[in-house]
Amino acid sequence: MPHIQLDHVNLEFQVGAERHDTVKSVLRNGLGRRRVEARTVKALRDVTLSIRSGERVGLIGHNGAGKSSLLKVMAGIYPPQRGTVHTEGHVCPLFEFVTGFEMEATGWENIRTRALLLGMSPKEIDQKIDDIAAFSNLREFLDIPVRHYSSGMFVRLAFATSTAVDPQILLLDEVMAAGDAAFIESARHRMNELMERANVVVFASHSLDVLPTFCDRTILLRHGQVVIDGPTAEVVGFYTSEESARA
Amino acid sequence: MTNETTFQAVIRSASLWHIWSRLGLQDVRLKFRRSAIGPAWPFVNLAVMVLSIGFIYANLLGQNPREFIPYLTIGMILWGYLTSSIVDGGNALIHAEGYIKQISLPIYVYIFRSFVSISVTTLITMCAFVIVAAMYRVPLGPATVLAVPGLVMVMAASLLLITIFAHLNARFRDVAHIGAVSMQVLFYVTPVIFPAALLRHRRDLSLVIELNPMYHLLEVVRQPLLHAAAAGWHSYAAVAAVIAVLAVTAAAVIATFQRRIVFAL
Repeated sequence: MPHIQLDHVNLEFQVGAERHDTVKSVLRNGLGRRRVEARTVKALRDVTLSIRSGERVGLIGHNGAGKSSLLKVMAGIYPPQRGTVHTEGHVCPLFEFVTGFEMEATGWENIRTRALLLGMSPKEIDQKIDDIAAFSNLREFLDIPVRHYSSGMFVRLAFATSTAVDPQILLLDEVMAAGDAAFIESARHRMNELMERANVVVFASHSLDVLPTFCDRTILLRHGQVVIDGPTAEVVGFYTSEESARA
Repeated sequence: MTNETTFQAVIRSASLWHIWSRLGLQDVRLKFRRSAIGPAWPFVNLAVMVLSIGFIYANLLGQNPREFIPYLTIGMILWGYLTSSIVDGGNALIHAEGYIKQISLPIYVYIFRSFVSISVTTLITMCAFVIVAAMYRVPLGPATVLAVPGLVMVMAASLLLITIFAHLNARFRDVAHIGAVSMQVLFYVTPVIFPAALLRHRRDLSLVIELNPMYHLLEVVRQPLLHAAAAGWHSYAAVAAVIAVLAVTAAAVIATFQRRIVFAL
């Protein structure tokens, strides 16, 4: 059964140290002068949580509260410095729609590449490619390089491809759709279908009105820590009352 | 998944061949797509180098162009392969940053991707050697097929070099530059644009080639292709040793950096 289990997860980023290391600076620091104190940003502090099969969980919190970091730890992208992450089932992170798209490649080529990267098998892609093409509504434009697309067309193709996956565990980060009004409406519909198909959904969002309709459980993060974890209505209520108290 | 060992991640990456082969081949295709002569560019590049170096050095070193031009051609192709494994391969993980931070595939997928694109580009330029070999009537024989195992060994070295430099360069950004400079120095001491025999005649200099791993990597492909004969046994032994050392280094580099690489990007 698909599930996610996090135990005492701590994630930190060394700002300044790992990024700009050169052989020279390491030699210098190793031989003689003291290593410059690196600034450590604690992205997650002692996060323990468990998400079971069938759950739909919302993540809320301010920018920088750790929502994206938490999703990336669940996706296996960032290994935590301390604590353990255990996931079972195919994890599909959908933080953006365009990674893997090549401007010089045609629409058809990009559909295939993007779909492979999301974990679809070539056979699965053959089955779904017509549906993706139909939803993108790009028809003969699929034969030309994506470079010639308008940004609206580009978003439609990327969105149509990314939402065609059948994930067991779906991780979403602030998903938004662009394009004309009709597209936004159909995009919302398609997004809902995708979330219905997934066995587990973890969904980071700022839109407090959308969360209750979809997530039964919500986690509020602040400074990388879990503040409250419970039924969505309760957590959203707590968050908004806190916000208004602060204002 | 986060609950797998590094070894399992490497194996899983290899098994995702339909992803990395597609990405690697796409890199090759896109590199040439918008240029007027497309995949002919590596040929043109090689032809200009071989013609200019070839005729000057053949004269300068008193070589017969009939033997020297094919020798130079295959040497330049293989040298280009190893150089780009270090220089381009060194960017395999850095260029994949967008992928690594957005998609949960094991990072070794992007090492294999780079290996595919570098190797396929080399195999395309190999066709130039076939043309040159036909023009200069390079001897063919049963032992010519020994070039295949030789090439497999060079490819193994390439994959290991890409692995090592991609990791080190992600952590220390000047490693690829150091690699490029080292290759330039090695180019002048390795018999690529001059025949090995010239150095061998000089007793004091012959060690420069015998102890040069690059020389042996070239020989295991060059000898079968140019003379339809196996390379010397010591060349095979040297190549085996080079691969073993690279493999141990690659394993150590992977073990050291595997969890840290995403933070270094």
